Amino acid sequence: MRPFFDLLKKIIQTGVGKSRFFMASIGLGIAMLLILIAIQAHINFSQLLYSSKNQNETADFLVLNKKITNAMMGQPAKSTFTPEEIINIKKQPFVQAFGLVTSSQYKVVIQAPGDLHFATDMFFESVPDSFLDVKDADWKWQEGDRTIPIILPSDFLNLYNFGFSLSQDLPQISQETVKALPLQVSISNNIVAEQYLGHVVGFSDRISSFLVPASFMTWANGKYGTAVTTGTSRVIIKTPDPSNPTLVKFLDDNGYTTNQDKLKFSKTRMIVQTIVSVVGFFGFILLFFALLVFSMFIQLVITSCKHEIQLLVMLGTAPKQLQRYLLKQFVPLYIIIGIISLLILAALQYWAASVLAKHEMVVTPWPGVLVFAGIGLILALVYAVNLFTVNKYVNREA
Amino acid sequence: MQIQIDHLMPIPLQDKFRQRPSDIWNQEITFKPGNFVKIKAPSGTGKTTLVHYLYHIRYDYTGKVQVNGKPWQAYSKNEIAAMRQQEVSIVFQDLRLFEQLSAQENIELKRVMLPNPYCTPERIQEMATRLNVTHVLQQSSKTLSYGERQRIAIIRALVQPFQWLLMDEPFSHLDQENAQRAAALIADECKARNAGFILTDLDNDQHFQYDVHYHL
Repeated sequence: MRPFFDLLKKIIQTGVGKSRFFMASIGLGIAMLLILIAIQAHINFSQLLYSSKNQNETADFLVLNKKITNAMMGQPAKSTFTPEEIINIKKQPFVQAFGLVTSSQYKVVIQAPGDLHFATDMFFESVPDSFLDVKDADWKWQEGDRTIPIILPSDFLNLYNFGFSLSQDLPQISQETVKALPLQVSISNNIVAEQYLGHVVGFSDRISSFLVPASFMTWANGKYGTAVTTGTSRVIIKTPDPSNPTLVKFLDDNGYTTNQDKLKFSKTRMIVQTIVSVVGFFGFILLFFALLVFSMFIQLVITSCKHEIQLLVMLGTAPKQLQRYLLKQFVPLYIIIGIISLLILAALQYWAASVLAKHEMVVTPWPGVLVFAGIGLILALVYAVNLFTVNKYVNREA
Repeated sequence: MQIQIDHLMPIPLQDKFRQRPSDIWNQEITFKPGNFVKIKAPSGTGKTTLVHYLYHIRYDYTGKVQVNGKPWQAYSKNEIAAMRQQEVSIVFQDLRLFEQLSAQENIELKRVMLPNPYCTPERIQEMATRLNVTHVLQQSSKTLSYGERQRIAIIRALVQPFQWLLMDEPFSHLDQENAQRAAALIADECKARNAGFILTDLDNDQHFQYDVHYHL
């Protein structure tokens, strides 16, 4: 075929409109690069999110409750979860573990010993032990114990130390001191009141509540509680990825709310995903126009050599041969453009990886497999469009 | 390869040939393989039209041109191309060389169109020598005289394998001596392939030992 194609080169001039062809090649290169960047950004982002190297405890615990609106005020029943709602939450794919937050149905007053002048009305809540971030040997209670282990929210001590105590000229207290303090806990309903000893065993960053062991809660609710059991108004879930947009959407749709700070990342993630999609979208638009220009260029070449092509076919040149020849004029260029955009992407990725490494974020310095698949697909698409155009116009002239 | 025509009639000349008889138009004829066929006709009676019908580059006719028992229309473009490379060759009346190529390249184009060329480049030189055109081989075909172009077109038709050679007034621009040389070369090449030809011309001639004569 070689010598025949050499002669064809003299007959079929592919040099017409070279500058247009050059611009289209640059457009194709940019389009490929944009699409590859979008794919690679997606890979990097999921690596940052899910890869074990970047795992700064992605699983997270969220305490959910219903949003209190003005219309609901004074109707506590409206802020509790119905059994159907609880079943619905449990079956969501992003819920790894689910627990009820049980609240106390009795009055609690806590007093600090001695002259600390600290006494407050309180409440207790309990959650299943597996949801706790405090591990302590003393965290247990059985019937007959007069000492109740208590977990306080870290924020509570901070509020006291940095807000209350400074303004009231009271001493600041360390966590150790609080743990050592024997608290007087008075539990009462409208009929009886009993004294217990409270022992703070730890401070939770996870659950903003005053927690007692579930065994005590069950027992105390049975003993002091009013007959009417109040519903559950708070639940706790464990989720592998609190930034999961479906989780955020689920909460919004049902009017549930949680610690918004933990969901913040979800917004960032959605913004990044949007930007990546937009980049990819423009890549595809550009690819589309590049393909259009290439098709028009091929059409131009073929129609400008219409008479030559007709004579060639008259002399016995097969349309197949002409198609092969024409494709050979264009396809190597596409492959070169593909390789160049792949190289640029590899350089960008290497650079991005080294920049991210400085911030202790690990991504591989090499383009991902999907990128290679992407470039393969784009080239296949470009080839298919060219093949179609060449076949169409050669057959029209032949 | 067998060529048959079956009540072939050019649409533009239909009225004219209803009036007067013809050996070809509206007849049933089978061209026997290996035969040297001469078709004689005055100007304007459709010689070129007939050759173009037989070669399937003009289609405005009624009736049929059958090749190996099938009408031309039954073959795909790629199949027709294969036949033009292997089974049927042609010398156009208007020669149809590529002006952007040299004389040699015009011949070479046809030779290398087949992945395995039928003859060697040396064979082209030999044929050029026989037809006295060696000195113009390197020239652009644009600069050649009609006589030179005609001989290049003849050589181009002879570098491929064929069973039929179609020639449309192939010696119209040649003097008696050069026509004689070209005819001898064509006869040799046809014999070497056991091939026949169909030649159209205005007058009677003694260039070949014709097997059949037709009046168009």
